[in-house]
Amino acid sequence: MPTSNPRSRLLWICLTVFAVVGFAAFMFPAFIIRPFAYQNPKALLWAMAIRQRAPIISLLCAGVTLLLVSSLWQGTRWWTKVLLSAATVLVIFSAVMSRLNYFEWMFHPVDSAKFESESSSKLDAKEMILAVRYGSDARAYPIREMAYHHILNDVVGGVPIAVTY
Amino acid sequence: MWTRTVNGRALHFYLAGINNQNFLMRDKETGTWWQQIDGKAIYGPLKGASLDLVAYDELTFGEWKSEVSGGQVLAEVPRYSKKYESDWEPEIAKLPVVISFPGTELKSRDIVAGLEINGASRAYPWDSLVKQSPVIDHIGVTPLLVAVAPDGKSLRAFVSRIDGKDAEFFLKTEVKSSAGDPPAVAGASNSRTPESAQASKSSGPPAKPWLLLDTGTASEWNFQGCAVSGPSRGKCLDRVPVLKDYWFDWRNYHPDTTIYKR
Repeated sequence: MPTSNPRSRLLWICLTVFAVVGFAAFMFPAFIIRPFAYQNPKALLWAMAIRQRAPIISLLCAGVTLLLVSSLWQGTRWWTKVLLSAATVLVIFSAVMSRLNYFEWMFHPVDSAKFESESSSKLDAKEMILAVRYGSDARAYPIREMAYHHILNDVVGGVPIAVTY
Repeated sequence: MWTRTVNGRALHFYLAGINNQNFLMRDKETGTWWQQIDGKAIYGPLKGASLDLVAYDELTFGEWKSEVSGGQVLAEVPRYSKKYESDWEPEIAKLPVVISFPGTELKSRDIVAGLEINGASRAYPWDSLVKQSPVIDHIGVTPLLVAVAPDGKSLRAFVSRIDGKDAEFFLKTEVKSSAGDPPAVAGASNSRTPESAQASKSSGPPAKPWLLLDTGTASEWNFQGCAVSGPSRGKCLDRVPVLKDYWFDWRNYHPDTTIYKR
């Protein structure tokens, strides 16, 4: 890192801070809230708080980082350009991922639920279902489907429900 | 399963994360985080709010079809149909658990039926339920009837009271369950009758419907908890929400739970 003058040094420090904060805005919650890992209650609270604010934090940090990269780019050595490029990639990655729900890449939601009559359903009699009834509106949600989608927002007998599994 | 109306507004939930292997969801309207198992908002603008539990059953499709007419079944989403697995539980059982509660006779991924009455909770080991169904129990002062259908999979629980009086039930017909073991006859004495012992030796398909008899009115009751004959005909027992869950997950959210033993 070229630190030949105080201004340059300051720019590098700011770049490091904003790049780290921008990347952490996505990475910290992603690390804490991950499958097959223990979630400590306090760490989880921090993760939710940061995740809630990550879209704006990561976007601001990405903007500042890109400005700093453009200020530092000219006249630097090739390996310095590699560092600057890496910082750019990380903050852009974070800014994008903070706006995406990657859990739904693993378990796609049901965008538009369709239903069929019990008589026309080809579901095997031994298949497990979650059964709900409100008034005359009786619905069955096969567990083999809900175990993948996990959540379905539905309305049964006029009552909005969240089917979860 | 939860109603999703809070303060008069219907919320729309989506999968947002995981908390010790129980998933987290968020609502699109406020961004609040909710725990799936207990419907409580744990972070965000609606923190502290609770969703109302929807009365639902976990049944086989065959059992459900025998009880309803004109029902609707969620159709498969064609592009995800290859992701659906009927036998996913054995695969899940191979996965590690991140929390455990040693010192009990249950293993982390043992299946239990969990009930909570007036703040007191109890876990009924699934294997015991299948073998002993119907089970008569008490949680606090509340008498309970927990039953597994002859299919060995469908589950329901009821408050065991008729017209405000505690009631006891016996299995009227010994039906060989698809789980392989004939259910024990439950009741005050918890002993088998000669008829049930004889029936348990038969290996043919069940010829008679699954019915319970109550000792108070001698009425016959079906798996929906409703009397189909006798003085109590037309009456139904109050349903109790019951959750089929892994022991570690039930215990994690019900730290004071007891375990049914018989």
